[in-house]
Amino acid sequence: MVLARVKGTVVSTHKPESLQGLRLLLLEKVDAVTLKGKGDYVVGIDSVGANAGEIVFYVTGSSARMTDATKGKPSDATIIAIVDVIEKDGVVTYDAAEGGFGKAAEEGAAR
Amino acid sequence: MTLARVRGTVVATRRSDKVDAATWLLVEDCDQKGQGRGDCLVALDMVGANRGQLVLLTQGSSCRWTSRTDDRPMDTLVVAIVDEIDQKGESVYARGG
Repeated sequence: MVLARVKGTVVSTHKPESLQGLRLLLLEKVDAVTLKGKGDYVVGIDSVGANAGEIVFYVTGSSARMTDATKGKPSDATIIAIVDVIEKDGVVTYDAAEGGFGKAAEEGAAR
Repeated sequence: MTLARVRGTVVATRRSDKVDAATWLLVEDCDQKGQGRGDCLVALDMVGANRGQLVLLTQGSSCRWTSRTDDRPMDTLVVAIVDEIDQKGESVYARGG
């Protein structure tokens, strides 16, 4: 699974019926420590109700069809979780409850 | 399978994967000597791996071939903890050494 930040939504009116009603979100892959975007964007189908600004992780390939929202649908990137906390090497690098800024991010900003 | 180092954990309560008692590990892609490459992924822990350990990752649809992940949206699993690696008869990695 890949960590990414929800950057926005994608709207498409011309798509197969099987994709009707599904939310398409614009995702940018992020570094696990700095939470900075890598400039690498994908469009994922939302199966958890993620919103812009949140850190999520998504599955790719055939596993993207295994959620209730995407069963039998032509998705190859599906958001399956909204991240609350990321801890790396014993340091909290992301905490959604604190507005996303963990200790490392604050130290990084102070530097 | 690929080699990776456990670097930390990820907590997520709002999920759609329906995997019971899931532990999410932050793992960093590694070379054959256990040297990290800086690229991190989130993986479902199947073996009780801890921070610092070198592990084996399974990726893609093969991740669904376990009883816990059958028909679940999983594409990255920690499936083993590495004890030792030798390359051309020489030990290049030993757990705890």
